[in-house]
Amino acid sequence: MITKNITTKFMNYSHTLGLCTMEGRGFMFPVDTAFSNDGRMHTISRAYPAVSRNLRVTMYDTEGDFFGVYGGFGEDLGQFRWPTAITTHQNGDIYVSDEKNNRITIYGIDGTPKKSWGITGSNPGELNGPAGICFNKNNELIISDHKNNRIQKFTSDGDFISLFGNETNQNINLNLPWGITISSNDYIYVADWGNHQIAKFSNDGNLLQRFGNLGTTNGDFKNPSSVAVDKNEYIYVADWGNERVQIFDPNGTWIETLRGEATLSKWGEEFMLANQEEALPRSKSNLEPDISQFKGDPYEESAHIEKLFWGPVSVKLDKDDTLYVTESNRHRIQVYKK
Amino acid sequence: MTNSNEFKLMSHLIRRAGFSSTKEDIEKRLKIGYEETVEELLNPVHKNDTIDDYLLRRYNPDQGTSHDSTGAGSYWLYRLVSTNTPLQEKIGLFWHNIFATGYSKVTNGKSLTDQIAMFRKHGTGRLDDLLLELSKDPAMILWLDNMDNHKEAINENYGRELLELFSMGVGNYTEDDIKECARAFTGWTIANAEYTKQLAVRNSIWPYGKIAWRYEYDITDHDADKKKFLGHDGDFNGEDIINIICEQPSTARFISRHLYHFFVADEPPVPSWPYVEPQDMEAIKILEKSYFDSNHNIEAMLRTLFNSDFFKSEKVYYKKIKSPTELVVQILKITEEFDGPNFELSSRNNQITYMGQQLLNPPSVEGWHQGLEWIETGSITERVNFCVQQMSDLSNPGILKIINFILNSDIQNISTSDIIDKILNEIGGLDISQNTRESLEDFINNIDLSKSSLADESTIANVFGVIGSVPEFQRC
Repeated sequence: MITKNITTKFMNYSHTLGLCTMEGRGFMFPVDTAFSNDGRMHTISRAYPAVSRNLRVTMYDTEGDFFGVYGGFGEDLGQFRWPTAITTHQNGDIYVSDEKNNRITIYGIDGTPKKSWGITGSNPGELNGPAGICFNKNNELIISDHKNNRIQKFTSDGDFISLFGNETNQNINLNLPWGITISSNDYIYVADWGNHQIAKFSNDGNLLQRFGNLGTTNGDFKNPSSVAVDKNEYIYVADWGNERVQIFDPNGTWIETLRGEATLSKWGEEFMLANQEEALPRSKSNLEPDISQFKGDPYEESAHIEKLFWGPVSVKLDKDDTLYVTESNRHRIQVYKK
Repeated sequence: MTNSNEFKLMSHLIRRAGFSSTKEDIEKRLKIGYEETVEELLNPVHKNDTIDDYLLRRYNPDQGTSHDSTGAGSYWLYRLVSTNTPLQEKIGLFWHNIFATGYSKVTNGKSLTDQIAMFRKHGTGRLDDLLLELSKDPAMILWLDNMDNHKEAINENYGRELLELFSMGVGNYTEDDIKECARAFTGWTIANAEYTKQLAVRNSIWPYGKIAWRYEYDITDHDADKKKFLGHDGDFNGEDIINIICEQPSTARFISRHLYHFFVADEPPVPSWPYVEPQDMEAIKILEKSYFDSNHNIEAMLRTLFNSDFFKSEKVYYKKIKSPTELVVQILKITEEFDGPNFELSSRNNQITYMGQQLLNPPSVEGWHQGLEWIETGSITERVNFCVQQMSDLSNPGILKIINFILNSDIQNISTSDIIDKILNEIGGLDISQNTRESLEDFINNIDLSKSSLADESTIANVFGVIGSVPEFQRC
């Protein structure tokens, strides 16, 4: 039985969304999720170049109703090659970063592509691997320009505003930053992937705090990929390399670790109902083997035990502070509520 | 320097024990010495710590999880190109061709990646240990149906191949031995066997992607009764069978011949071995002796092989056709295209497939037939086109580096032959015939110098590309 690191005091598991599918309803290596103004969810499937039709954004809701897909592999308007993050503008538009095409693409709320912008390079306003993205209160787009080890700020139309990072202040010392978010107090939080830390900045780019170190105990990180902050300034971190999500109080003090508790999603249940030749042997299988045989290697634990997070790449909070954990390697979203 | 016998011998060693190298690397190794280099290859200091799996997983989650054959193959290719322990990866290729296990039936990339990792870990240890790990390997169990090998109804598939293709070779055991061997391996299965088999048959990714596999010993399904195997009597389990197999002279012969075939010179295809004597019986006997002297240790056999006169003989230089994997890995090491995870990795892996060798998906349990069969009409075109394209591509940093090195020499006053030699030297000292040299000189002399100069990057790049097409480059 799995007992290690599973607590439900602060956040409680609610349900799971999604299904691994090559196209259409479901996900293939999803990497991020956003909520649109019409209450729908938009999840990016990064997939892989070998089967390029898998790349898409899937529209659905938290009840599991499916509304279609958009995007696709390529370099034309509306397409992407390495889509990485997704966020929503106050006006309803959807923004997707693409770290291979080095650009941001804007879609209407229904997924109709409108525009893309981005110039490859390392000069101010140029991009080299735009990863995490989010909007601040002024509807300015903040981009984790990860291979340039900096954070850049643009207007929603792509006009450069400002930047901060290693080139402006060596003490900032970002190392392939990934996920990024803005708190209600307008602080910028960055998942500093290569440094195994969360970095907190003021809106104008002053480094205020760093917390976490490389490790596996509570409060440590291994390549964190995403960070979210709730209304009360509690911090949620996708501790990607440790295959877990950690929660911290506003001071950065650890309070809880989630390791994953997935159950069958609505789409998964429908699949099993229609495919009894898989459902029957599955029902007789032990899907929760003794975790100790994997010698504390979280990657192997998660590869073998389906309910655990595997590749928890993104954490997002909705308006009610419900937590959505996107897992790239399990092609699903686990939902947690207070 | 590159014309010295020492350089040529070191280059030969690196081509066989690794994947070719640059002049700079070979010269570094020459300072260490030949026997010391052999030791370093067998017992590397670095233990592969330069490969960052997390970085790969960030950019290519399908490769990081070995989602399918492409993801798993691309992941292995990344390791093959990036490794600083080349023999460890090469031995993985060696065993992969002998214990050939294919995605076409297994349909679980991670189980195949795990099998290769097992070859990396046990591939230079005792054969007994390796065969034991192989018998517990989930991909192998599914590939040869050992989860269907039950106490009350045996399935001979694994028992047969263990004797025929993995250790002794045809003609050295009886049909009864196969049955007894199969009985000994009853109960050696995989967890959730029924579900796992169903997922494999359907290549299912539902509901949440593929679950990794694990070995399980079901004692209730093991036939613990007396068995008679190769003249021995006892209530044998799988471990006992492996111990008996590893004591057989036929096993020593079989493994020795495979090592010679892979590391020294191409032999005829394995199925003909019962009927065709080894081309160098003396070498095989030396390796057999090393096998028994070392208590079945593969590392000791490799040490014997690399330090032997038969390996060092110039007669066996370039006597092997590079496998598609060896060819592509060498090209990618020259071009330095992969200094980190890269979007193009899976398409490079596809190139290996187009040339006739899909990593982790051999055509059958016999693996690939090697030697001249690598260069059939279709595959030679793929090979040459890939070499020419990659080696003439100025966007590849390794190519540009070598070309700039040449241009920074006294380019205006060097002969066409010097340009050829400089390129050959930089890619590890490739030996070419006089005919090939004359063809290359003709190519350079026919360049229209009214439109370009010999001192142009693009001109040198074209020469570089043509060198990728010469017959000698297809050999190692």
